[in-house]
Amino acid sequence: MKLDYSLISRRAFLNTLFGGWLIAVLSGGIYAFLKFIFPTVGKEPDFVVLNRADFLDIPGNTVKTFAWGGKPGFFLKRTDGTMLALKGVCTHMECNISYMPDAKKFYCACHKGWFDDNGRNIEGPPPRPLESFDIITAGEKLVIAKKGVKVDLPKV
Amino acid sequence: MMCIFSAACILLLALPLLCPAGQAPFEPALSPYDRHILYQALVLFWIGIIGLIVIIVMKLKEAKRTQGMGVHQDEENAPFLD
Amino acid sequence: MICRRCRDWITERYDVDALRRLLRTKYVPSHRYEISYFTGGLTLFLFVVQFLTGMGLALYYVPHSEHAYKSIVDIMTKLRMGWFFRSLHHWGAQLAIASLFVHFFANLLLKAYRKPRELLWVTGFIMITVLVFFGLSGYFLIWDERAFTAIRVATGGAGSLPLIGAPVKIFLRGGIDVTQETLTRFYAFHVSVLPMISLVIIGLHVLLVQVHGMSVPLSQKNRQKEAQPFFPNVFYKDLIVWLLCAGVLVTLAVVFPAAIGTKADPMAPAPENIKPEWYFLFLFQTLKLFPGEIAGLNGEMIAVTVISLGVLFAFLMPFFDRRSSAGRPSPVFTYAAVFYLVYFVVMTVIGFLN
Repeated sequence: MKLDYSLISRRAFLNTLFGGWLIAVLSGGIYAFLKFIFPTVGKEPDFVVLNRADFLDIPGNTVKTFAWGGKPGFFLKRTDGTMLALKGVCTHMECNISYMPDAKKFYCACHKGWFDDNGRNIEGPPPRPLESFDIITAGEKLVIAKKGVKVDLPKV
Repeated sequence: MMCIFSAACILLLALPLLCPAGQAPFEPALSPYDRHILYQALVLFWIGIIGLIVIIVMKLKEAKRTQGMGVHQDEENAPFLD
Repeated sequence: MICRRCRDWITERYDVDALRRLLRTKYVPSHRYEISYFTGGLTLFLFVVQFLTGMGLALYYVPHSEHAYKSIVDIMTKLRMGWFFRSLHHWGAQLAIASLFVHFFANLLLKAYRKPRELLWVTGFIMITVLVFFGLSGYFLIWDERAFTAIRVATGGAGSLPLIGAPVKIFLRGGIDVTQETLTRFYAFHVSVLPMISLVIIGLHVLLVQVHGMSVPLSQKNRQKEAQPFFPNVFYKDLIVWLLCAGVLVTLAVVFPAAIGTKADPMAPAPENIKPEWYFLFLFQTLKLFPGEIAGLNGEMIAVTVISLGVLFAFLMPFFDRRSSAGRPSPVFTYAAVFYLVYFVVMTVIGFLN
């Protein structure tokens, strides 16, 4: 079919086609590159398996550190023998915290944040309590698991 | 010029006093002799810098003088000696 | 003789005289605030110092979490003059950032951004971001305890940005946490990505300065003295400034060599009283002003949003300030500029004293 008149000149058509095609090809490339430079994200562990003997026998009012992914986790045994496991990272700016046995509190040196021995934020800038974990004993093993995560114990 | 020079000298004298001991844990262990050499080199360096500045100021004055006479450039077709 | 032949060889092929004429026609206005013209050249000089010393350091630095710290210690203790060049690089960075901030505030106060120089402002602003990021990434490379914690806090803070926060944080860290991946990334930023970007941006910035010439502040429009030729008058003055700066830099490097703390350990508690580099202190202090929660919202997110809006406003200043672009005084923006300067200085000082 031949049109006698057209509002679009051949040149305008070609320019649009060229520009559009170019953008399409480039965006394909840019998309691939963005995919490449954004890292594939690992995730924090759902649980870690530790040696029971190493942790349950620590003296009261002390803390033993374990590796929770790349971050420290704290296993705390209170004076009365109750135990608590929590992530040793401040909820404010992600600094590693430390346990102060004298005050029975956790302390973040970065911005002077304090948490009590339940992990509750009691002073300073931290907005949330520390993330605490479930403690499951299974034979010789001690499993520290994220709250709400079902651990398949036989497999462990 | 004298002013800059004396300021630099005072700065040089004052800075080592300001330096707190044990600031850098990995500063190479310097013997007093090495330290002496180091500061000597620093003084020589400053003499070099100040010398350059003096020469530049002289050049600047010269340039201003010729500009004041209305001569903005050396003569283009001045004969070479070679 | 050989010199003349070389010169003839070039002049036969290129129009050198045109360049020379161009140089001779470049004049620089002269007035009360002409000292602000030297701040840009000073920053450029310090950039060159950073590029040169950085190239030297890159020959010895090992970008791996196991070896990075050791390689810095080796540079400081074993290599000949290693301590000197690392200290130069360290102090050069401090002075470069300081001189860029002075350049920024001088041009903000003198309203050098007004029409037709908006793009100069934009490229300069991008350079500040690049330079701050240079500082951040370079600081991390030494992989000591303070740097490690500081980067965790800084990238975590970037994570509080609204909407784009999470992807930015992941992109900077190369994962969910600060690890070897982060070190690789920051090394790449520091030695490849940022230098390339800054070469392009600085080139554009300097080119635009040549196109527009130096800006004369509105108040000085009718009070100018006779303009000076750039070459040799202003150029020689620039040289003097550079030489003095080189002297100060070398003195600082010799008298206060750059320090390094203990090696970073991702499991160790954060060191007491951690402070960011001085050019982040004002941000750090601003963050402290906000409580943890405001009306049920995350206070940090609000703080970061407010800071971002403040920075964005400064970035878009030339487009808001219509009056000065039309050649009329605009006191509102002068007050805004003074506010920015006072805020920056006061917050930095408070951060220092705390």
